[in-house]
Amino acid sequence: MKTWKTLIAAAGIAGVTLGAGQASAFELGVVAFQMSAETQARCANTVGEEAAKLGWEAQVLNSNGALETHASQLDNLIQKGVDGLILCMSKPVQFDAQFEAAKSAGIPVITISSGASPHTLFDVTPNEYIMAAEAAIYLLGTINYEGNVLLQRFESNTGARIRGSILDAVLVENPTVKIVGEHSMARTKSWQDDVRNGMSALILQNAGNFDGVWASFDGQALIIDDLLKESGLNKGDVSLVSIDGGQEVYRRIKDPESMMTATIAIPFENMAKSAVTMMNQIAVEGKAKEELVPGPYLFIPATLVDKSNVDEFLK
Amino acid sequence: MSLKSFIEVYGTFVAGITLFVFLLIFANNFASTANLLNVLKQVSFLSILAIGFTFALITSELDLSFANVCSLAAVVIGSLISTDTAWPAAVAAGIGVGIAAGLLNGLLVTVLKVPSLISTLGTASVANGLAFMITGGVAFVGRWDPNFLFLGRGKIGPVPVIILITVVLFFIALILSTQTRTGVHLQATGENEEAARRSGINTRNCKILGLTLSGLAAGLTAVFLVANLSSAAPQMAGDFLLNGIAATLLGMTMFTPAKPNILGTFVGALIIVCLSNGLILLGAQYYIQDIMLGIIIIVSVAVSASVLKRAAFAL
Repeated sequence: MKTWKTLIAAAGIAGVTLGAGQASAFELGVVAFQMSAETQARCANTVGEEAAKLGWEAQVLNSNGALETHASQLDNLIQKGVDGLILCMSKPVQFDAQFEAAKSAGIPVITISSGASPHTLFDVTPNEYIMAAEAAIYLLGTINYEGNVLLQRFESNTGARIRGSILDAVLVENPTVKIVGEHSMARTKSWQDDVRNGMSALILQNAGNFDGVWASFDGQALIIDDLLKESGLNKGDVSLVSIDGGQEVYRRIKDPESMMTATIAIPFENMAKSAVTMMNQIAVEGKAKEELVPGPYLFIPATLVDKSNVDEFLK
Repeated sequence: MSLKSFIEVYGTFVAGITLFVFLLIFANNFASTANLLNVLKQVSFLSILAIGFTFALITSELDLSFANVCSLAAVVIGSLISTDTAWPAAVAAGIGVGIAAGLLNGLLVTVLKVPSLISTLGTASVANGLAFMITGGVAFVGRWDPNFLFLGRGKIGPVPVIILITVVLFFIALILSTQTRTGVHLQATGENEEAARRSGINTRNCKILGLTLSGLAAGLTAVFLVANLSSAAPQMAGDFLLNGIAATLLGMTMFTPAKPNILGTFVGALIIVCLSNGLILLGAQYYIQDIMLGIIIIVSVAVSASVLKRAAFAL
C-alpha cells in the first residue's frame, strides 16, 4: 500500500511541473554533463536564468558525469520535442547519435565548451589555445623561467587536454623548467578525491623541490592550494596558476596566505548568455546561423587575472 | 486471495500501470511510438544489468561490483577495437571480463568466505582501477565497425535491435530462474542455505553461479553500451549501480514479495525508466529524479522488510 501511495505521490509531484511545462512558448532543454563541477553549474544555471528572462521554459538536467545518463537525457528531451537544446561541456563524439537525432528532429543544438559537431549549430567557447599559452607563460614568468614544477592534468576533457598540450609545447621551448611530478585526474565522478590523493603524494614526495604548480582547471587548483598550505608553505614559496575563474579563486589570489597566483577568467556566464541570445535569434527570430557565427565556434575572450587586476573581478 | 495479499503481490505492478497511464495522459509525446521505443531501449541496458544482479541476490549474495565490472569490460572492448582487433574477439573479451569478475566474486564468497558485501566492493575497486589503468582516464572513441555499432544502435524496421536482444535474454533468464532445476537450486540456496545444503544441493556452486551470471550480465551490457555510445570510458556505467539495485528492490515488492525475481526486476527497471523519461517529458528539473529514485529505494526496502517480518512471525 505504501508503495502505491508513494508512486501516486511521485506522479503527483511530477504533475506539479506539468502546468509550467505546457505554458511556455519556447521549451529549452539544458543539460550539464557534471554539475558537481562549479563551472558547469554556473553555465547551466545561467542558461536557465537567461531563458527564464525571455519567458522560456528551461528544463535543466544534470548527467552526473555518466555517459549513458547523458545519452538517455538527450534522447528523452528529443522525444519531448523541445524547441532547442543548450549543452554544457558535452561530448560531441560520444553523443554523435543523439546530436544527429536532434538535427533530424529539427531541434537546434548549441554547445558550450564541448567541441564542434557537424550536427550542432556551433560551440560557444573561449580559445583554449590562447588561454593555455597565456597561463603557461605566466607561470614560467613567476619562477623566472627556471626551476621545477608540479602538474595536475585532466586528459578526458577536450579543453583541459588542450591546456596541457600547450603547456608541454611551452616547456619544450623552456628546458630550464623541469616537470618533477605530475598527476592526471581521471575520475570524473569523484574528481576532488582523485586530485587530493594524487597531488598530496606529489607534494610530499617533492617537498622543497618545486617552485610552481600548474593545474588544468581552477577546481583542481583550489584543492592543491589547500594541500600546499597544509604542507606549511606560504605565499611566495611556490606559484600556483590555473584556468577558469570564479569568486573563490579571485579571493585566494588576494589572500595573503594562499599560493594562488593567477587564473584565466573564462566568462561562463557570458558564454551562457551568448548561447541563449543566439538560440533566440536563430530558433525564434529565424536568423541564419551563418550570419551570426560563420564557423563551428563562437569564441568568447577570456582575461588573465592576477593581483594587478583581481579587484576588478571580485564582487 | 485477500485484498491484502493482492496488494502485496500486485500492488507495485498496479502502481506501475497507474504511473504509465498517468504519463500517457499528461506527458506530451510519452505515448508516441518513437518515445515508447526510446523508453524500451533505455530499459534494455538497465534491465540486462539488473537481471544479472537479481541472480546474485536470488542466492542471497550482493554484487556491488556490477557497474564497475561493466565499465571495465567496456574499456577492454574499446581498447581492443582501437588496436584493430576484430570486433567479435573484442566482444568475447569483454564478456569474458564480466564472467571472470563474477567468478572471482563467487570464489571469494564461497572459498575465502569473504562476505559478498565486502568482496564485491573490493572487486568493484579493482575493476575501477584496472579501467583507469587501461584508459589513463581518456575515453576510447572512433574507428568502430558498423557491424559492431549495429548491436547498440541498429534497428530492425523501427525497433532497436537491443530491445529484441533484451527480450530474448529476459526469457532465457526467466526460464532459467523458474523452470529449471538450476533455478530451483538457486532459489533454495537463497531462501535457506543450510536446508538446501542438507537437501543435497551444492549451495557453493549455486552462489558461484549466481555471482557469475551477474558478471556475465555486466559484460553483455558493456557490449551494448559501447556499441550504443560508440565510446568506452572508465566510469561509463556509473549511474547503473543505484538504478540497477533500485530496479531489483522494486521487483522484490511484486509477484513474489520480498524475494528477488526476474519478472519483478524487469518491471522495476521499466518503472524507473518510465519515471525518469516521464519526469523529463513533464519538465521536471534534474534533482527531482534523484529524489524520486531515493524514495523508490526506501519504500521498496521498507515494503520487502515488512513482508519478510510478517513471514518470519508466521513461521
